[in-house]
Amino acid sequence: MSAVETASQDQARRLQITRGSVAALLVLVIAAICRFWGEELTWLVSWPDALTVPMTDWVGAGVGWFLAVFKPIARVFSYLLEFPMTWVGGLLGGAPWPLILGSVTALGWLIGGARMAALGFFGFGFVVISGYWLEGMNTLALVAVSVPLAALLGAGIGIFAFEYPKLKSSVNVVLDVMQTMPTFAYLTPLLVLFGFGPVVGLIASAIFAAPPMARNVLLGLERVEPEIREAAVMSGGTRRQQLFLVELPAASQQIMVGFNQCLMAALSMVIIAAVIGGFEDIGWEVLLTMRKALFGPAFLAGSVIVVFAVVIDRMSAALAEPRPAQDKRVALGIFAIGALVAVWAVIAGWNPAGIAAMDGVADKVDHGVGQFTANHGATLDTIKNTSMFYGLLPLRIGLSDAVLPFTWGFAWTAQHSFVFYAVFAAIAALVALRGHLPQAGLVLIGAYVLETGIAQLPWAFVIFGVGAVGWVAGGRKLAIQVSVLLGLILVSGLWERALLSLYLSGASVAACALVGGVLGFWSAMSPRAWMVIRPVCDTLQTIPLFVFLIPVLMFFQIGEFSAFLAICMYAVVPMIRYTRHGLISTPEEMIEAATASGAGKWQTMFEVRAPYAAPTILLGLNQTILYAFAMLVIAALIGTTGLGQSIFLALGQADVGLGVTAGVAMAILALVADRLVQGFAEERKQALGL
Amino acid sequence: MTEKNSTAPAIAVEGLWQVFGENAASALRDARSAGDEKSIAEKLKEKSLIPAVRAANFEVKSGELFVIMGLSGSGKSTLIRCISRLIEPTAGSVRIDGEDILQASDKRLIELRRHKLGMVFQHFGLFPHMTVADNVGFPLKMQGMGKAERRARALEVLEMVDLNGREDTYPRNLSGGQRQRVGIARSLAVNPDIWFLDEPFSALDPLIRRQLQDEFLNIQATLKKSIVFITHDIQEALKLADRIAIMKDGEVVQIGTPEEIILHPVNDYVAEFSKDVPKGRHARVESVLMEGIPANMPDDPGIRVGMSIDAALSKCMDLYEPVPVRDAQGELIGAVNPHELAKALQAEET
Repeated sequence: MSAVETASQDQARRLQITRGSVAALLVLVIAAICRFWGEELTWLVSWPDALTVPMTDWVGAGVGWFLAVFKPIARVFSYLLEFPMTWVGGLLGGAPWPLILGSVTALGWLIGGARMAALGFFGFGFVVISGYWLEGMNTLALVAVSVPLAALLGAGIGIFAFEYPKLKSSVNVVLDVMQTMPTFAYLTPLLVLFGFGPVVGLIASAIFAAPPMARNVLLGLERVEPEIREAAVMSGGTRRQQLFLVELPAASQQIMVGFNQCLMAALSMVIIAAVIGGFEDIGWEVLLTMRKALFGPAFLAGSVIVVFAVVIDRMSAALAEPRPAQDKRVALGIFAIGALVAVWAVIAGWNPAGIAAMDGVADKVDHGVGQFTANHGATLDTIKNTSMFYGLLPLRIGLSDAVLPFTWGFAWTAQHSFVFYAVFAAIAALVALRGHLPQAGLVLIGAYVLETGIAQLPWAFVIFGVGAVGWVAGGRKLAIQVSVLLGLILVSGLWERALLSLYLSGASVAACALVGGVLGFWSAMSPRAWMVIRPVCDTLQTIPLFVFLIPVLMFFQIGEFSAFLAICMYAVVPMIRYTRHGLISTPEEMIEAATASGAGKWQTMFEVRAPYAAPTILLGLNQTILYAFAMLVIAALIGTTGLGQSIFLALGQADVGLGVTAGVAMAILALVADRLVQGFAEERKQALGL
Repeated sequence: MTEKNSTAPAIAVEGLWQVFGENAASALRDARSAGDEKSIAEKLKEKSLIPAVRAANFEVKSGELFVIMGLSGSGKSTLIRCISRLIEPTAGSVRIDGEDILQASDKRLIELRRHKLGMVFQHFGLFPHMTVADNVGFPLKMQGMGKAERRARALEVLEMVDLNGREDTYPRNLSGGQRQRVGIARSLAVNPDIWFLDEPFSALDPLIRRQLQDEFLNIQATLKKSIVFITHDIQEALKLADRIAIMKDGEVVQIGTPEEIILHPVNDYVAEFSKDVPKGRHARVESVLMEGIPANMPDDPGIRVGMSIDAALSKCMDLYEPVPVRDAQGELIGAVNPHELAKALQAEET
């Protein structure tokens, strides 16, 4: 029986290789047609305008009608939500700061003893002296109202998906869309629906923060041991008793992980939602100072956000860990001290807005950055220009257009093209001779993309190529799925913008894969490197998206390169983590077997660890892609072209049709990339028998 | 058990099928025309359905300790889950004290579980977020019993399994053996009539396992529950069972007392199990009694009814002629030939 199995597996693998070569060859043919007859067959290169459907108008009309119907209900909801918002806002904003500082410190003590108490104290202490206390409290109030909403919504969805397994896959699609749909995109309809005001941010963050909660609730429930479930049944519990008395509590650890992610997502979104303004929160402060190029205050306000993020993240993450109970009297004592100081502060009329002890720091930062950019302006410009002219621009518009006498010292001619292709053909031939037919095809396809530029690729080539990748990764069904999805963007008239987005995210993902892969590999090989890299990763992952814009703006001003850097900073983290995790989590027995066979450290790494880690690393790449798309829209704030820009424009003009369509297009790109990489990861997993 | 034959069986399983896969019920109905179980199962497999339990038929008498033994994948865990209706069987009937529980409404089922059924799991199935006492008291809570009462009863049952003093710890702080004691205590908390045990000792170390088996027998000696006990260990089955059902590929291949299983296996599969079993320890002297009682037997070497063959042989090792067998009162009831005793011990050579 097992012999038969291996035989069929062998056959499958051989089939896979042929499938890869066939796909590469077909794509190559399309590329060749586009390259040589593109001039004549223009419809192959750019989609005819006549066939473009006014998708944005239709969507605008459809969504507009929908919004009009639900507007009254939404407005009532919006009105009702004002109450808790005002209460919490009044409570946090009106309470004397020593009271809140004391409460947070006491809470920290209860959760994690002295360490967490110190974190709470110093974190919120920093906010007090930063001079952004009021804005900070406003942000916290938004989070405090949106998180229960998101957590309840998420838990409800998770439980629902668990109770009705038939609907699970559809629920998962909904969650995917909720998470991949760029946040700015649904701000526009929400604005129309709920009217101008903080409620929009609230709802948006509830939508954005619910999916992680839902996923973790579902995962936690699914992971409850079947015997625990059965024990509850055999004890004679009704379904509700089983769920609430046994299964949910047994899944509490996973649910707390979800709660942690939910909190972080809500914080991130609340800050992003500041772009619509109307609520004097810390995100607004960052945006405002950034627009005025006041980097010192922007840096300070950004730091406040980071401090909030770190405090909230560490404390809620500690909740998900098993932990010893702390002495409640200490917490009470801390709280009492806070309250006493508060009473004194009220009597003495001491108020944190007047402290602003960090203003000097802000000025210094401002000054320092100014001086640095003045002194090293040439260096910074060189970095920026080199990356632009020799990296990003050729990727975008192709070597044939990017190579100009002004930058490269010569103009691209037909001869150059000939030599270029000849070199790549030689490499491809070499690769093919060594038996790697699909890879040889990839080399040639890569050459074509490099010469043409991603933003100018013919639509036929892109859709057919992506379809072919889908076919290799997951069979015919996936191929059709991704082609149809991309086709939707094509006929909607957003194709050029989509390609621009694809180019920028592609460039960032490639950079992240390279840098992250190397760093992850290094971290796996050297524990000492990981000791340095790990806290950096932790911090980068905690920081809300928005804040990444501040440092790149300080040094590189507005522009595509800054956007590229911001995306890379954010998206590189999963690549590092997953690469390291994949490489070090090889089962001990396999390592021992390799060592016993006489393999050295590097041999073990390349022969045993790396192949075993491949699926994990692919998942890391997948995460990196999704992160890059998420950041792409935020980066539109500092100057990118493409879908992100459209979404942002739509927000400014309250153009629901454009906003939603561009948002969906973005989500489609992310989903397609996600499905393709997942397909490959799945294939690798099966090949390894995992 | 002899006095029970007048009453209805505690559990009666009839024509029970469990088929996994899509549209299993209709597929089974169609396949029924194929005739015997083997060909039905073949037919189902052709449709890539999995017949995990095939036409199981047996009865568990009241107060009987009925062991279902089989290797992994033989369907024994599925079978016990069908009987307790943790999964829905595809066809057949399961009567508990005459009531077909496959027809029972959800409400009635909850009722039964709250009062009549108890179950112990292989990996204990303890609720990680509850203390030992809360775990044991959970079925009582489902009954709606008050807090103080629950705790009193929990302590009582914990005492029975020798865990007094550990009631306020959490399962994670207990050893495997202790955890299973909690599992046993929980299943006994409502004082059920029917007791399901799904490989309760399989996850434990051999020493702890033997200790718990002995305690289990003690508990059963006083409580006299009707028990379905699942195991993959023939030694355990022989040690505990009143009767054993042996399963293979979803089929019950033989049902009998430990002695019958050892001495009269119905096929090679069952014989394979008993091969390594020291038969002398499990078979009794009655199984090799001679026909008729010869005259002129030697003095009584002390062989009594119910003695294991090992013990009997040790009493008459040096004798070559038939020896008398007496009952507890010393009445002569038969005779046995020492070389027949020795022969019964021999393992088949193959």
